[in-house]
Amino acid sequence: MSNSKQVNAEKQNFLEQVRASFSNQSTLLVVTLVVLGVVFQITSQGIFLTTGTLGTVLNDWGSYILLAVAQTFVVITGGIDLSVGATVSLSSVVAGWVLVKGLGLDSTTSGSDATPYVLLAVFVSLLVGLTVGALNAFLINVLKIVPFIATLATMGAMAGLAIIISGGMPLQGPNNWELGIPYKIFGIQLPISTTVLAVMIITVICGLILHKTKFGLHTFALGSNAFATRAAGISPARQITKVYMLSGGLAGLAGAYAYIRLGAGSPSNGTGMELYAIAAVVIGGVSLMGGVGRIVGIALGTLVLFTVQSGLLMVKVITVSPSLKQVIVALLIVAAVAVQGIQKPARK
Amino acid sequence: MNKRILSVGFAAVTAVALTLGITGCAPEKKLTIAFVMGAESDPFFQAMKVGAEAEALAQGVELVWQGDPSAYDVATQVPIVDNVLAQSPDGLVLIPTDPTGLQASADKAIAAGVAVALVDTTINDTTNAVITITGDNADGGAKAADAIADAIGYEDGKTYEVVIGLTSATATTNVGRQVGFEERVASTYPGIQIVDVAYSAANPQTANSNVNNWLTKYPNLKGIFAIDGTNASGAAAALQSKGLTGKIALVGYDAYPANVELIKSGVFTALIAQDPAAEARLAIQTLVAYIKNGTTPTTKDVVIPNVTLDANTTDEDFAKYTYVAK
Repeated sequence: MSNSKQVNAEKQNFLEQVRASFSNQSTLLVVTLVVLGVVFQITSQGIFLTTGTLGTVLNDWGSYILLAVAQTFVVITGGIDLSVGATVSLSSVVAGWVLVKGLGLDSTTSGSDATPYVLLAVFVSLLVGLTVGALNAFLINVLKIVPFIATLATMGAMAGLAIIISGGMPLQGPNNWELGIPYKIFGIQLPISTTVLAVMIITVICGLILHKTKFGLHTFALGSNAFATRAAGISPARQITKVYMLSGGLAGLAGAYAYIRLGAGSPSNGTGMELYAIAAVVIGGVSLMGGVGRIVGIALGTLVLFTVQSGLLMVKVITVSPSLKQVIVALLIVAAVAVQGIQKPARK
Repeated sequence: MNKRILSVGFAAVTAVALTLGITGCAPEKKLTIAFVMGAESDPFFQAMKVGAEAEALAQGVELVWQGDPSAYDVATQVPIVDNVLAQSPDGLVLIPTDPTGLQASADKAIAAGVAVALVDTTINDTTNAVITITGDNADGGAKAADAIADAIGYEDGKTYEVVIGLTSATATTNVGRQVGFEERVASTYPGIQIVDVAYSAANPQTANSNVNNWLTKYPNLKGIFAIDGTNASGAAAALQSKGLTGKIALVGYDAYPANVELIKSGVFTALIAQDPAAEARLAIQTLVAYIKNGTTPTTKDVVIPNVTLDANTTDEDFAKYTYVAK
């Protein structure tokens, strides 16, 4: 009796989860992607849905998704991390500095010879990111500075440090360009490269952490009700430290991605990226008030953003001026948020 | 407090130096030249700093190097000029971030008896300045058009598709270079079609994505004009990762050491280089001569031409024009 009840409950639970993962926002984003795909395919006279363009869209997605995921964790706790873009710049510059100035290498080391150095760049970038995250947590927990101001301060400081370390110029180092080139399997060109695949795996792992672990639960709890969280025996300070270090670490990995993409650590590698990350998070259905958000939505939201970016450039039937492109992206963000506003009361 | 300690320290060091008779003759008061540039983070100003420091050392003057760390902005520059003038320098080298916004600052300096040189950009009324020195963006754009035409083996009667990677619609350097490029194409290379432009918003990853998309959109693309360092980095990465090095003419701007290396490996067809160090040297030389002897320059408005660096450039010229960071 109780057993069948339990099975029923589990079944219901499972159905709930399936339903939740394709909540209104995600369904809407999938529909949006299909519509955009059709519109751009027609207006580009058939060159949008090709592996060339899709490869570029996914390459951009790879640059930004880690920052969007980082931002998701932070925003769910009710905070914000403005320093992610500057962390991309700094981590890629430090990685470049270690390889170029530290080990005396340059861009003539390439192909598979460069792979060990690229892995070293990934490791260094990750360390830099974790350090920036720890610094943010210190400012928030110990000095009691609100996240917006704390991360605004680190954003400025890290961007400045990146300029000082690099001398304001890109540090061109060893690179294995193959890592960023989409695979060709049995003669079929795919739009996915090793770096994009790696980022996809990290995104899935982060999704599992957020939605399937105690850590994820505590993150949501902190954003929903910090007092209740404390009452439940969870240390908000410790959770904040973990979340901001995760955010910094992901931004560090995005710095490594930028290094591999450009073959260089440049102090402008992360310029303006934090704003796209926040836009992606909002389009993906995360509430900036905290407590709500899903990684599936973020992955789709980021994809919508960069589908539009590339799609507008591929349009052939009319000339879309670059300035108009900015306006269209802004309208898209407004539309996404407005739709969420309409959805929410209906859900209740 | 700290400042006072510092200045006492400086005074002590100077006193010791003077008693030791380092100059070997009756000490003349050391001239101070203030140098207020645009944005420290810009490699262009890093290269300018190298020239300024070398010339200050050669002339035996003290250099006060100031400017915003990253923002090329009139709002942050005006108070910096005020602070610098409060230290009563003998001369001021100013890179005005706005022709109108910095007019009052320059007038104030001149009224206080400070000799003023305007470098790279200028102000509306330069009557009382000692010298104005500018780089020529339109000339740089025209030289880029020549370099692309040369690389693609331009012949009249044929058509060639070319794109321009920009940072934004309003950056004055971008606009000047773009206009110079378009005018040269219209007047000399009518077969070159500028089929598209896009913005990088100062991020090389965005510039990279623009070029990747162009390579899909224009399978017959012959040339790319990457209008600044950011676009040059993004475009160079796109060609390298797609194995198109040398197949599409890539002309960039600014002689970052990393990009100069890429001329040698064939990624860049050419780089248009400015000579910020020469601008700084000339400004300091002119001011010192004016302050010491009242000598006015023979040409008051000097335009420093750009140079095209390519595979035929001598090592000596590469060394001369590559931007060096400190």
